[in-house]
Amino acid sequence: MKANLLPGACKAFVLLLAAVVPGRALAHASEQGLVLLLPTDLYTGAGVAAVAATVVLLALLPAGWAARLFASVAVLRWRAEGARVVASCLSFLLLAALVVAGLAGPRDPLANPLPLVVWTVFWVGLVVAQGLLGNLWAWLNPWSGPLAVLRRLAGGWRVRRLRSGVWPGVATFLAFAGFLLADPAPADPDRLAVAVALYWLFTFGMALVFGPRWLRRGEGLSMALAAYARVGVFGRRGGRLRIGVPGWQILRGRAAPGMALLSVLILGTGSFDGVNETFWWLGVLGLNPFEFPGRSAIVWPTLAGMVVANLALVAVLSGCIWAGLRLVRSGMRLSRAFALFAPSVVPIALGYHVAHYLTSFMVDGQYALVALSDPFLTGADLLGLGEFYVTTGFFNTTGTVQVIYLVQAGAVVVGHVLAVLLAHALAVKAVGDGRRAALSQAPLALFMIGYTLFGLWLLASPRF
Amino acid sequence: MTSNTTRRGALKTLAAGGGAAATLPLWARYTHAQSAEPIRIGFQVHRTGIGAAYGRWYDRTTQAAATLINEAGGINGRPVEIVAEDDGTDPRRGAEVVEKFANQHNCDIGFGTLFSHVVMGSAPRAGELQLPYFVVSEGHHVASGALNRWTLQPGITDVKSQVMSMAPWVLGNLGKKVTMVFPDYAFGHDHRDFFSAAVEANGGEIVGLVPIPPTETSFTRYFPQIPRETEVLYHVMVGPAVLTFVKELGEFFGPSAPAIFGFIDSLEAVALDSPGLDFLNDTYFWEGMPRYAQADQSEYDAFYREKVGVDDTGSSVSDPSDVSTYAHMFGCWETLYVIKDAMEAAGYSGPQDRQLLVEAVEAMTEFPQSREHPQGPKRFNGKTHQVFGQQYISRVNDGRLDVVHTTSIEDTMYPDEVDYTTTSF
Repeated sequence: MKANLLPGACKAFVLLLAAVVPGRALAHASEQGLVLLLPTDLYTGAGVAAVAATVVLLALLPAGWAARLFASVAVLRWRAEGARVVASCLSFLLLAALVVAGLAGPRDPLANPLPLVVWTVFWVGLVVAQGLLGNLWAWLNPWSGPLAVLRRLAGGWRVRRLRSGVWPGVATFLAFAGFLLADPAPADPDRLAVAVALYWLFTFGMALVFGPRWLRRGEGLSMALAAYARVGVFGRRGGRLRIGVPGWQILRGRAAPGMALLSVLILGTGSFDGVNETFWWLGVLGLNPFEFPGRSAIVWPTLAGMVVANLALVAVLSGCIWAGLRLVRSGMRLSRAFALFAPSVVPIALGYHVAHYLTSFMVDGQYALVALSDPFLTGADLLGLGEFYVTTGFFNTTGTVQVIYLVQAGAVVVGHVLAVLLAHALAVKAVGDGRRAALSQAPLALFMIGYTLFGLWLLASPRF
Repeated sequence: MTSNTTRRGALKTLAAGGGAAATLPLWARYTHAQSAEPIRIGFQVHRTGIGAAYGRWYDRTTQAAATLINEAGGINGRPVEIVAEDDGTDPRRGAEVVEKFANQHNCDIGFGTLFSHVVMGSAPRAGELQLPYFVVSEGHHVASGALNRWTLQPGITDVKSQVMSMAPWVLGNLGKKVTMVFPDYAFGHDHRDFFSAAVEANGGEIVGLVPIPPTETSFTRYFPQIPRETEVLYHVMVGPAVLTFVKELGEFFGPSAPAIFGFIDSLEAVALDSPGLDFLNDTYFWEGMPRYAQADQSEYDAFYREKVGVDDTGSSVSDPSDVSTYAHMFGCWETLYVIKDAMEAAGYSGPQDRQLLVEAVEAMTEFPQSREHPQGPKRFNGKTHQVFGQQYISRVNDGRLDVVHTTSIEDTMYPDEVDYTTTSF
């Protein structure tokens, strides 16, 4: 092609060619092909039945039973503010080094440590660890430590009140989710380095203006992680570290303002992240998955889908909670009931997170090891991996694919069972009587049974 | 998938003689040694998106070849540096990646693109930037004349020559009356059009065409469209439902199936002992390069397998269930060696010699089978910028593929559709 063609004409020509010149499809058959051969209908039925059985069981068991399940016991005295500051400062230094690596290291997102640490170690590994164990982010966030040091050095300063409620948190969480789901190249090392640096600076600046409160009410990622932490088995109450059944903190503790809405948004966003990989969704967009034009072609539909999915979930959940209140003629205001019950969906979100990212974690986790062993492509082998070929062989045999599928399905089902138990225990706490609690939870329970079906359908659907 | 070792190996070679310099990042190592500055090969790799499974093996093959080239002294005495950028299997990003190669990373060339729509999206930008762009895509788009003087495909044959070269053997050995089952979009239409034409040219007959919507996951209702008189069933389904397709095909035909011929694209990177595939026993496949080491394996194939880390069954040496994209990935290896030869022939010393490099490739004609060309001998057509080479037909025997026929290069040739040498740079 001649160099002097107008860019616009050039693009039109390419689009025309792309439309008429035969393409090729090399999307390969392995993992999802094997899943399609598994008796997924049977597994889906069993999973839905398990959640439904939990609902029935709760209606029959004595009122306090679910609440007792979520009891916790103290493990040890726990005061570690100084250590948390140190850990957060180290985390900040690591992040700074990773940003440098993002700008100066290898261009390959599977060789550069920044995208691997952000998307694999943090967004998959740390989020899941946070959800299983407890609030690791209080230690590992890269802001609170530097902020504390600065305040100590400067002798403190007046901070402004944050009057805008939960909306900054909602906005920053959705901005993060939008980048994750819709940006054409969220793993590109340059691009990610700039995004991470700017977001760190923005958050740090806001925390200077509004104080550390910004991290609890304005920084959506920290709020989402705080929501996940409340599913974890470890929690701090009255200066002691306590341990209990996953979700006990949601029942015992008091959620920070905005936590309820954030809880729903992490589920809505996680669910849409699954939907937008299905052939069904591409069909909605009128795209052939084997000629998928790439993320850059569907930025706006993806953002729109994410927003609509979240709005729909908030509306449906609110509707279920409202209907439950009506069924028992409760005088509780819907906003209060929403704040009370909505956090019970976080175990579902965690189950989805595990199910959705398990396969990519199994592959990219290997790349992360390789990259951390040789962060600047200097030929180093810091972790002593020796000869190491990343493999995806576990997607090629029925036995391993079945195990992977069952772990994913199990995470989804366990998440829903926990959510049903929590919602019931919260209802007993709110309305007292066991039978009334069960009745008030009937619409929400039906919703959760339906959502189990949806989650398991996602796992068994053809996707890419 | 990147072999850490391989990459390390490449870098160790780069640093040979440099001693402590081995600990420095690449950009720092050559700041004082203009003559030893690496040849930068921008590797446009499908790291994410629908091409990622292929990208993994394209990367592994590329790194292995780069290591060898560096061990042997590099290109024109300069080390080779592979600058890998992910294009997300996304045409628009593909064009951006090409721009980065030219404007940010000071790459000498672009290389390695597989998916056709990414090639189509990227090649015009490579042309505008006058960046030699070596694709490894199999698409007919290069030889069809749709691209430009700067885009070349010297390391892998195109789908038109692959498909049409199958016809003489299929008609002569399996039957004259052919029904084609194919996904109903461009990829399937390529096969339909190229093979139909070749069948008619060779005295056969297409008795049935069964297009299947690409996202279909159940196929039983399409099979009654296969005419009873069918002697050969040609299939080229792709995607996650392939295993279901084969399973249902087996259930439909039982023991009385016609002869069956397919393209290994359907099962590339898929183990032949996957459930349902036992029906494919005694059927035939096109292979770009035989996945299983054959009884008469060349020393070149053995050498290539060893260096890429692939065993005699086409799987990773570190995990027998990690099946490679063996029929395609040799293209990266062979293309890098063509680049090396052409740069040496052109006396390439830097971006100012890019036009000389393209002309040097255009002047090439024969690549004998060798360690540099382990898939087989090749003939390059400088006018169409496309290489031609022998193709393989293999029979499935108890879970492995045995070659029963190797085409000649002549079987794969067709009249030129373009002469890029007459177009301007």
